[in-house]
Amino acid sequence: MTLINLPDFAGDLIADFERLGTTRVDTPVIQPAEPFLDMAGEDLRRRIFLTQSETGENLCLRPEFTIPVCMRHIETATGTPKRYSYLGEVFRQRREGGSEFYQAGIEDLGTRDSASADARAVADAVTILGGLLPERPLAVTMGDQAMFEAVVAALGLPAGWQKRLIRAFGEQTQLEALMLRLAKPEQVAGLGAEVEALLAKDDEQGLVAHIDGVMEATGYLTNASRAPKEIARRLKDKLALAGTSLDPGKLDVLREFLSLNVSLRYAPGVLADFAKSTGLPLQAAVERFDARVAAFANAGVKLSDITWRAAFGRPLDYYTGLVFEVSLRNDHRVLAGGGRYDGMLTLLGAEENIPAVGFSLWLDRIEAVRGERS
Amino acid sequence: MITIALPSKGRMKDDASAIFEKAGLKVVAVGNERSYRGRLEGIDDVEIAFLSASEISREIGNASIDFGVTGEDLIREGLAEADGRVEFCARLGFGHADVVVAVPDIWLDVDTMADLGDVAADFRARHGRRLAIATKYWRLTQQFFSSQHGIQLYRIVESLGATEGAPAAGSADIIVDITSTGSTLKANHLKILSDGVILKSEACLVRARKAEHQGDATVAEIISRIRAVV
Repeated sequence: MTLINLPDFAGDLIADFERLGTTRVDTPVIQPAEPFLDMAGEDLRRRIFLTQSETGENLCLRPEFTIPVCMRHIETATGTPKRYSYLGEVFRQRREGGSEFYQAGIEDLGTRDSASADARAVADAVTILGGLLPERPLAVTMGDQAMFEAVVAALGLPAGWQKRLIRAFGEQTQLEALMLRLAKPEQVAGLGAEVEALLAKDDEQGLVAHIDGVMEATGYLTNASRAPKEIARRLKDKLALAGTSLDPGKLDVLREFLSLNVSLRYAPGVLADFAKSTGLPLQAAVERFDARVAAFANAGVKLSDITWRAAFGRPLDYYTGLVFEVSLRNDHRVLAGGGRYDGMLTLLGAEENIPAVGFSLWLDRIEAVRGERS
Repeated sequence: MITIALPSKGRMKDDASAIFEKAGLKVVAVGNERSYRGRLEGIDDVEIAFLSASEISREIGNASIDFGVTGEDLIREGLAEADGRVEFCARLGFGHADVVVAVPDIWLDVDTMADLGDVAADFRARHGRRLAIATKYWRLTQQFFSSQHGIQLYRIVESLGATEGAPAAGSADIIVDITSTGSTLKANHLKILSDGVILKSEACLVRARKAEHQGDATVAEIISRIRAVV
C-alpha cells in the first residue's frame, strides 16, 4: 500500500536514517494493549484506541513506536548494539491535533557508552530537525534523573524516601507535597496493642505469624497478593519513613537544586559550585554529567542551544537518565522528544539488561511549522 | 418542552418524587403506576422520563434530557469534564454514598495514598505484575490515582459486581468502590484509606448545559423550587 498522506519530507527522513546507519523497522499497527498499559500506566487507557479480539485479548492501535520496536528486538533476538529507525502512523486521542499522525524516530539499544549514546541521540534529533527546518533556531531542553537521584542520595535520606522522591521527579506538585511532608516527622497510630508490642520487641517472626493468622482467619489467600512477610517488613520501613524528616537547610538545598535552569555551556560550572557550596558528595554524578556534556560537544551539538533544567523529568519507572525535548526557540510546540529508558527492556521481558536511548519526531507538528514559513 | 429524568425504581425513585412533591412539583405517572412516562401535576410544558440512574447520567451527557436526578458519582464517572457539560443545581440529601479506596484490613502498613504509592511502585518487582484495582469507576480511579496522587503504576480490573469480594478472592489487590455505611467493606475485611475518599456522592438535581435554557422561565422555576426545599 502506498501511503499518499505521508508528509512531503518523509523521503528526507528516510535518507537521514540511512545516512545515520540505522536499521529501518516497521511494526504492526494493531498491537497487544497490555504492554502499553503496563509500561505507561492506566492513564494511557483513555488516550489510546482500544478494542478486543474475538478471544478477549485487549488490542490497540499503535500509540507510539518505542515499545513495539523494543518488543520486536526482544523477539528477534538479533543481539546488541542496534540502532533502529521507524517512520509510521500512530494513533492517540489528543486535545489538540488529529488522532492519527506520523511519527519517526531512532531507538538505540544496547550501546554501553551512555554518554556518547545520549549525545548521539540529541545530535541526531537536532541534525534531522535542522535539515527539515533550515534557518529556524532550535532550542533543546534537557533533564537528568541520574543527577537528581545523586542529590537525593547525598542528602542522606533512607532508601524508601529516595524512591518516593525519584518517583515524583518531573511532577512539581507531587515533589512539593513530599518536601512539605519531609519538613517534620509523622506519627503512626492505630496499629493495635498486639502489633505495637511486636514492633516494640522488633519481633519480625511474631509479626509475620500474627499477620498470617489474621489472613487465615479472614479467608485471605496469603499467596495471591502481598504475603505476610512483605507486609511485616514494609510496616517496619514505614515506621522508619514516618519518623524521617529533613532539616530546613537540607530542604532548601533540594529546592535550590530543583530550581537550577541554565545553558548547558554553564551547567558543569553551576553544578560544581552547587556541590561545593552545599558540601554534598556529588563527585561521581557530576563527573558523569560532565562526561556527557563533553560527549555533546564532541557530537557537534551546540551547547548554547541546550538548556539544562534540573527539575525536568518523566515520572515513569523506566526512565533512568537523560530526557530531552526539541522545539523552535520561543515556541512551546515540542517537535522531538526523547530520553534514556534503561529500565524498559527488562520490564518487557528481555533477559539481560539492555541500556536504551531514543527519540521521536512529531511529524505533524514539524509539517505545521514548515507550512508557517511560506 | 422540558424533560426531567427521574430514577425508575427503588428508594431513589421514592425519594426523588418526595422532594419534587415537597417543592410543589407533584409527579404523576402517565397511564398506569408502572409507566415509564410521567408529568408534573398542573404544569404542561414538562415531561418526566423514568430511567435507570446510569441511563440518566448518559442521557444528560448527550443533552437529550434537560434535567436528571442521579448520583454525582455516576455523572463524574460517566462524563469527561462533567462540570463543563452539566450543572449540579442542588444536592438532594439522599442516596449518600462515598467512592473510596479500600485495601485489605491486614495491610497494616497501608493507611494513606502515599503508603499505597510505595506499595504500587515495588509491586511489579515483587510480584511480576502491577498492583490490581477492582472497580467499575475507571475514570474516578484514574483521576484520583494518576492526577491527584501521582500513582501511575497500577492496573484496573473491571468489576461489575461484588467488587468488595475481589481482594479475598485473589482477583485484585485492592478496590475502588461505593459505600454508604461501610458495613460491606467491614464484612469483607477491607479498610478505607485515611485519605482515600475520592468523592462524597449523593443524589443531585443535574441540568444539561444547553443554550436554550438561558432565560427559560420553566427551567429557572424548577431549579429555584427544588433549591428551596433541600
